[in-house]
Amino acid sequence: MSSRVCKNCGGTDIDVDQARGDAVCMGCGSVLEDNIIVSEVQFMETGGGGSSAVGQFVAGDGGNPTFGEGFYTGVGRESRAQTLQNGRRQINTLGHQLQLNQHCLDTAFNFYKMAMCKNLTRGRKVVHVLAACLYLVCRTEGTPLTMAPFSCFSALNSLPRFPLQVNVYVLGKTFLTLARELCINAPAIDPCLYIPRFAHMLEFGEKNHEVSMTALRLLQRMKRDWMHTGRRPSGLCGAALLVAARMHEFRRTIKEIISVVKVCEATLRKRLNEFEDTPTSQLTIEEFMRVDLDQECDPPSFTDGQRKKRLKLLEEELEKKIGEVQGEIHEYQDEIEMELEQSRPKLRGIYASYAKTGRTQRLPDALDSHEREEEELKDVAEHLNRDLCDQLISGEEEEREGKEERPPRRGPSLASLLGPMPTAASLGLPESISKCIGEEKENDGDTENGELDLNGIDDDEIELYILNDKEVKVKTELWLKQNEDYLKEQKEKQERIAKEKELGIYKERKPKISGSKKRAPIHASTADEAIEKMLEQKKISTKINYDILKELNVKPSTSPAPQTAESLKGATPGAQRLTGRYRKPANVPLSLGTPLSTLGKSSPELHRLPLESSSTPP
Amino acid sequence: MEPSNDVALDIIITNVVAVFRTRCHLNLRTIALEGVNVIYKPEYGKVLMKLRKPRITASIWSSGKIICTGATSEEEAKQGARRLARTLQKLGFKVRFADFKVVNVLAVCSMPFAIRLIDFTKKNRPIASYEPELHPAATYRIKTLKATIQIFSTGSLTVTGPNVQTVATAVEHIYPLLFECQKPLRK
Repeated sequence: MSSRVCKNCGGTDIDVDQARGDAVCMGCGSVLEDNIIVSEVQFMETGGGGSSAVGQFVAGDGGNPTFGEGFYTGVGRESRAQTLQNGRRQINTLGHQLQLNQHCLDTAFNFYKMAMCKNLTRGRKVVHVLAACLYLVCRTEGTPLTMAPFSCFSALNSLPRFPLQVNVYVLGKTFLTLARELCINAPAIDPCLYIPRFAHMLEFGEKNHEVSMTALRLLQRMKRDWMHTGRRPSGLCGAALLVAARMHEFRRTIKEIISVVKVCEATLRKRLNEFEDTPTSQLTIEEFMRVDLDQECDPPSFTDGQRKKRLKLLEEELEKKIGEVQGEIHEYQDEIEMELEQSRPKLRGIYASYAKTGRTQRLPDALDSHEREEEELKDVAEHLNRDLCDQLISGEEEEREGKEERPPRRGPSLASLLGPMPTAASLGLPESISKCIGEEKENDGDTENGELDLNGIDDDEIELYILNDKEVKVKTELWLKQNEDYLKEQKEKQERIAKEKELGIYKERKPKISGSKKRAPIHASTADEAIEKMLEQKKISTKINYDILKELNVKPSTSPAPQTAESLKGATPGAQRLTGRYRKPANVPLSLGTPLSTLGKSSPELHRLPLESSSTPP
Repeated sequence: MEPSNDVALDIIITNVVAVFRTRCHLNLRTIALEGVNVIYKPEYGKVLMKLRKPRITASIWSSGKIICTGATSEEEAKQGARRLARTLQKLGFKVRFADFKVVNVLAVCSMPFAIRLIDFTKKNRPIASYEPELHPAATYRIKTLKATIQIFSTGSLTVTGPNVQTVATAVEHIYPLLFECQKPLRK
């Protein structure tokens, strides 16, 4: 800089005056610099009479300070810096909603930065990643928060979005991936951590502490009884708190507990039932507080499984016995019938078939006697060789009989038992045996030239898989009728594409998965019109009663209070500007007077002035 | 650490998934109209065909790629796939049986003891992960074998891997680890 050596006289004695901003050479008096840029702290007087420093706080990581009021995307701002700033803003908002302290939020932001570096944000929604970062912080700090509050966010982005409800499982997956990639070992959740929080929410007043203690004891008992592994901690807490409350004579209904703990009624009931099954439930209140039983139970799902197995065994035994008894009965029946036949010789001949109806319980006309015999033999084979033949023969039988009902299983007739071994069945066997035992050779040539090895494939059976012509016609008709809508759609699409091709404007349009469309700004003369237009544009929420919304008066003071949080977040994000920094969903009234032009643009409130975030200086 | 050779554990294979290509274009509509056990799903662009003999469900795409699920062994999967190809051949397509590969095998196994999942997860971080809010089982992934084991507190395991051998190895691998964190079942 020229302030070291004077240009005129070469002297080095330069006087720099900060007040006037001059640099003057002491030797010859020539002014070397004028209007020097100073970097001093300046003070100015504030309204209350005190003095405050002039300037803005800039974040340590070099994020650019924003100039003025608007969300000014300055020239030369990196996309990465922008994303980080965006993320920081969202973390702060969300964190304040959940009442996390600044340290947690900073840690969460650091996680987010790490995630960005490892490219974990690609392919995932920003909200999901942010929520996962926050949840990770909560887990590592041991803050008692379940995943449920995290899934109730709304996405506060630069564009006003429809409130996103993050699915808990999606959030969980993101969280797991994050923890694994960042090599962070999140300690397992202990349901005991949640008890104080839920107890506070249930408002036990003075006895809060006692109820919490009792609930904790119950929970520990549940742990010993193996009810807690694999279960959601909130469900267990709910059950423990319910019992504890009742023990201390507080009447908390299941509905109240559910609203606090966020599990469903069925789960709570199940937990209570499981607890009932344990021996501890038999103790009285005083005994429970004093005594701790040593015996530990098995996990409830295991005992359930055992019980089912036992029941199944019993059933099988019962069936076997019935089968035996039935067999005996049939033997007697056959014997009797044989006797009767012998004693009625004149009924042979043309009436023979009619006489046999009672015995077979089937339409005798439809079946030949020869076929019937075959079927009998097959039944025998079934009965004797359940494993091998069952599937094969029954499969064929089903095919052959077609729509006819399967004959009820009868015991083997005397004649076939005593007679020669069923021949038809034995014919059917070799095929299946060769298939099962003599496995087809592994043809390397198979994969090389792709020839289909037909060894072991029964062509006839495969014929059955293909319908004949008449059946094809019938099926075609049915199918066309069933899929009419879809076919129509396809036709229209084809026509549309053909038309566009002619006009030369046809483009390959891939269906967009993320529905972030740029919406045109709404021009409306009145607030009502604007609301209508906006509702048409946005996705319809099931939680808003749109009729009432349309009937609302324009006056902001008369807007009704009971509106769900989603409707507030979705309908007028600009409302936050009026009500303050932190959004408490229940308290913000729906103010229809807000200029709806803000809906089309970014919400100015969302942009945080750096001054505000300096409340806790780093 | 007790070697697993002493205990005979039943590993029951419940599902085998395999893919193969027919190397020819298939007209799904023809298949849908002329086959017996088919379901056409136009919105997904595939046809589901169910075979009875080896109980198999196959998803058939028009490009000729076919995925077979539901078999209980690798041989059965191959047999079912071949039958399927034969059926398609009979329908008139020039199918060839190419690139058959078993992609996934699912097996279940039951330990004779219950397991303390939290202890197990603590000892085997970060390979094991346990999130009771999301899933009742702890997940243990073996990268070298590319197998995933889900461990339930009752002692049942679900193992998935690229082939049957991997599944058996995975069970052997994890048995000693589970044995450490066991809790005897009160039958």
